[in-house]
Amino acid sequence: MTLTSPAEHVDTVVARPQPRRGVSFRDAGPPIALVVIFLAFSVLSDDFRTFTNVQNIMDTAAVLAVVTCGITFVLMMGSIDLSAPGLIGASAITVALLVANNRNGNDLGLLGVLVAVLVAAALGCLSGLALVLLKVPSFMTTLGVSAVGLGLATLMFNGVQPNITDEMLKSWAIDRLLGFSYLTWIAAACILVGWLVQRYSRLGRYAYAIGGAEEVLSLSGISVKPYKVAVFTMAGAFYGLAGVMVTSQLGAGLVQAGQGLDFKAITAAVVGGTLLTGGRGGVLHSTVGVLLVVVLTNGLVQVGVSPYWQGGVQGLIVVAAVAAAVLPQRRRNQVVK
Amino acid sequence: MKFNSRPAVALVSLSLAAVALAGCSEEASGGGNDEAGSSGACKPADVKLVGQVRNESNPYEAAWLDGGDAFAKSVDLSQERLTYDGDSTKQQEQVSQLLAGDTECLVMNILPNGDSDTPPIVEQAQEAGAYLVTQWNKPADLNVADYDHWVSHITYNGVESGKQIGDALSEAIGGSGGIIALQGILDTGAAKDRFAGLEESLAANPDVKLLDEQTANFSRQEALEVTKTLLTKHGDDVKGIWAANDDMALGALEALKQAGKEGEVAVVGIDAVPDALTAIEDGSMTATVSSDGPWQGGIGLAIGYCVATGELSMDDVADEDRAWFAEQFLIEKDNVAEFMTPATDEADFDCDNVFSRSQGAIS
Repeated sequence: MTLTSPAEHVDTVVARPQPRRGVSFRDAGPPIALVVIFLAFSVLSDDFRTFTNVQNIMDTAAVLAVVTCGITFVLMMGSIDLSAPGLIGASAITVALLVANNRNGNDLGLLGVLVAVLVAAALGCLSGLALVLLKVPSFMTTLGVSAVGLGLATLMFNGVQPNITDEMLKSWAIDRLLGFSYLTWIAAACILVGWLVQRYSRLGRYAYAIGGAEEVLSLSGISVKPYKVAVFTMAGAFYGLAGVMVTSQLGAGLVQAGQGLDFKAITAAVVGGTLLTGGRGGVLHSTVGVLLVVVLTNGLVQVGVSPYWQGGVQGLIVVAAVAAAVLPQRRRNQVVK
Repeated sequence: MKFNSRPAVALVSLSLAAVALAGCSEEASGGGNDEAGSSGACKPADVKLVGQVRNESNPYEAAWLDGGDAFAKSVDLSQERLTYDGDSTKQQEQVSQLLAGDTECLVMNILPNGDSDTPPIVEQAQEAGAYLVTQWNKPADLNVADYDHWVSHITYNGVESGKQIGDALSEAIGGSGGIIALQGILDTGAAKDRFAGLEESLAANPDVKLLDEQTANFSRQEALEVTKTLLTKHGDDVKGIWAANDDMALGALEALKQAGKEGEVAVVGIDAVPDALTAIEDGSMTATVSSDGPWQGGIGLAIGYCVATGELSMDDVADEDRAWFAEQFLIEKDNVAEFMTPATDEADFDCDNVFSRSQGAIS
């Protein structure tokens, strides 16, 4: 009925400002950069081009990929999300206390994982509600919700580190299927789900449209608020899963499990071609960005760059990559803020 | 407009309240401060004890505050536990708020967030007449003896602990073989000193070769990733892993587990967090160094309490006890049991004994 007509509006709105030629070039930039960097490190280091190291890169990328999946939808809307550290911390401690552990007698297994993801999703929902109901900018609401998450985590942490003894959760990081750890496959599944949502669901398309031209959507009589809340809730669920994955890797629930992951994920998304202004990019772009960042970190160590230089070198390469990615738009967007 | 004015009103009224409170405390403390020097004449029951650390989500700092509670209990008082989430601004705000209250018999045992956070805390405490003990961080050129209310500064010799675990690691791998080092946050004094200690140890053990050094920023997660990368790079040449703190050592242990090398590589760290002690007990980790967190939490309050009550006169506190290195303990499998249940010994906090763990003044 009426539900289908607005969606058509959206498609025309999104399609109009994108000239065909620009699209292909812009999308090709980051993958080309990834291939170039990968080849460069392979030439420079024997250790880099081994299969073990490729496994290692994939396993390392898993957590960041899941966080970035969530953050991408928020960035597509033109909002920003800094709540990842808090949500990941809360979910990490929750899951560590609900599966078999050294602190209490719980042994909920997969149910515990589900609860942890739901806790993070609820906190994400809180960010979204504060954004649309209280009209607080997403920058501030998510920062606040992150603090709430860390607070909850600290309360549950209660001075004693919960170490997990749950064999299933521990095996996720250790056991391998076709050469890659279960965590890597979980991340791959998340990317697939994220891509399907972005491509085929109304939620994904509206997220694009909100970032591209929110006013037009509103003028078309579409209420964007529920979609905004839904996007933040979904992002929260992704962070929650990431928290579970970190817990599996470290064998313990850490309050600081998500420290720094917010900016790492935003960097990865932007490097991959998801713009902070919204309306552009997507899950696959961001995934390429994640691989770029992880390959870079791994490669610099393998090549033997001194740790005192790595931070700076990494920063320079990231700036160069972003500059290359936005090159095609430079003439169109004269304003840079 | 209306929306804007509300926070302003709140701010103004808050600041008024603060000014009023500050006024009261100045009147109250005026009499006490005029008396001889800075040694106090507080009744034991009037002393207010405050312990401030970064956060309670870190087992070491939680144990620190527990040690403070234990001391407070031994003198029939209670400790106010403050945490500032590793946020320097928040730490300064908390200190300012504290010092705006009644400061005459206030004793503060503070872990400053970084070197540069110490001077403003010291200045404020000096002005308000509270008794202050700081630990770990202070700029090298800030002299404790220049202040009479900054009773003491306690820290640990990082070169020494880095060397201790370096030596323990060399011994564990039989005196020869390759090791990798996980450094802390590179621009912190602790990371620099501890690594300098490792270099001293390497000089004394010429057959031990440092294959690689990387930073993992004191983080368990980063250590996991860096160690996995280094293990693929150096493979079976890695016989030992030196980590500048236990969190990174534990991350390295997980990396070894995931690479199927659990038990084949010796791992050492510093800090003696509970998980590291368990790992040492079950043999997966070789050594760590303890600064004795509960003792740190108690001793700062004890020194301040002794001076505030006049049991210890500032004139009797020797110059070398104003800024000193405290004793630290190497923990290996044979002595780990003693450290499994952190506890404080009341005798350590006796006013005649408070400086007994000194390893000498900070040069």
